[in-house]
Parts: sequence; C-alpha cells; structure tokens
Amino acid sequence: MGDAPDTADSRRALGGPGIVLVVVYAVLALAATGRSILQITSYFEQAPLAYLLSAFAAVVYLLATWCLARGGRWVRVGVVACTIELVGVLVVGTASYLVPDAFPDQTVWSHFGQGYGYVPLVLPVLGLLWFRRVDRLAAATEARASGSTLGGVDPSALG
Amino acid sequence: MIAPLTYAVVGLAIVLCAAAVYYAVRDKLVDDRLLAVAALLELGLLVQLVTGLLGMGRIEDPTEKATFVAYLVTLPVIPVGAALLTIKEKSRWAMGSLAVGAFAVAVMAARLLQIWNLYG
Repeated sequence: MGDAPDTADSRRALGGPGIVLVVVYAVLALAATGRSILQITSYFEQAPLAYLLSAFAAVVYLLATWCLARGGRWVRVGVVACTIELVGVLVVGTASYLVPDAFPDQTVWSHFGQGYGYVPLVLPVLGLLWFRRVDRLAAATEARASGSTLGGVDPSALG
Repeated sequence: MIAPLTYAVVGLAIVLCAAAVYYAVRDKLVDDRLLAVAALLELGLLVQLVTGLLGMGRIEDPTEKATFVAYLVTLPVIPVGAALLTIKEKSRWAMGSLAVGAFAVAVMAARLLQIWNLYG
C-alpha cells in the first residue's frame, strides 16, 4: 500500500468508535498536561524525574490524540505514540514497584496508571488496535478500488 | 461554597452520562434536551472554576493543589469538546463519546471534592 493522496481520506480515523477513543485520549492528555505544567513550574525540585516523565507522557498523549482525530498520514505517527505509551507505562509501572525511591511523587505511569484507574495501561492497547483497524479498512478500500482494473484478488475476501 | 456546587456537578454529570447511554442504546441522535443538560453542566463547571480559584489558597499540600487547579481548568473544556464532536458525528458512537466525557467530568469533579473536603 502506497501513500497516494487519495488514500489519506480512507484512513480518517475519526468516526465510529474512534470518536470515543479521541474523547478519552483528549481528557487524559488535558489532565496530564495541566498537572505537569503546574508541577514543573511550582515545585520541580521535589521530584524532577517523576515530573519530567509526567510532562513527556503528557506530550505523547497530546500527540496521540491529534493522530487519532486526524487519521490519514498521522496513523503511522499515532502507532509510534501509542507504542511509546505502552512501553512507558510498563517500564515505569514496573520500576515504581521495584525502586519506589526513584519516584517520590506519582507520575501518570506509576503503578501501571493506578492513579488514573489503569486507563493509561488500557488506552495505548485500544489505540493500537484502532489504528490497525483503520489501516486494514484503508487497505481493503484500496484493494477494492484497484481490484477491478487489475483483476486481482477478490476484494470482498479482504473485507 | 464549592462543595454543594460540586455535588450538584457530579450528579448532573451522572445524569448526562446515563442519558447519553440511553440515547446510544435507543440509537437516537443528540437533541436540544440533551444539549441543555450539557449546557447546565458547563455553567456549573464555570462557576466552580471561579469559586475554586478564589478558594484554592486554603489547599496547603502543593501536589494536591496542582491536581486541584489542573482539574478545575480542564473540566469546563470537556463538555464543550464532547458536545462539538457529538453534533458533528451522526452516529450512536457520538452518544458514546458524550457518555465518556460526562463520566470523566463526574470522576474528576469527585476528585476535586475529595481534595476540597480535606481543607474546606
């Protein structure tokens, strides 16, 4: 599958269940961003590592929200963002149990996102599944479009 | 002053969430009645923002204060964003996003209440 300009539209992620994901992502991104701005501006020295991680996580959530909402060429960026989130929540989650001293204050990812109802653990998985679905739908649409002229695979087999 | 208001906000958010789920199940699109509830919730959140900012000096713990202010400011954004998406998207999933947004408002407002009650 190439990156022909007309495929961008078939890869729009917004619509259907994706819209719910966008809202959840946006809420988490906003809450995490607001909190980390205040943490860094008002008492950064208390737990620099935790606050830097929170800020980083917040930026990645904002990016993922954007990618989910825009779709198209952003799908690939979104996959990277969701993967970073998943790795982050697993690594920081594990580290917060093994070396609690390194995290004097909570991050979004501490204890596998316990403070946020484990939403940070579930969300990247849902995001990745959604991006994969969007990609498959786009691929199927492309196959259907080119199938008639090339006489290739039966497009309905891909649906 | 903020506690009774926030209880009302939590209650209204739960009502909105339940109504949105009901609409989604019945496959109904957004209507004026639902938007009116969302608007009322938004009004409550804005009043809460002002009163909360005025009274936040009482919260001594800096981490709690950061969460308090971040949630206070984030909350009014949610119904507006969710409502805009709901109007734009013409499917039952739009109701799902409104339900999720309302649920998030309920949870975050409850967290505000928790912090406020420690110091209020």
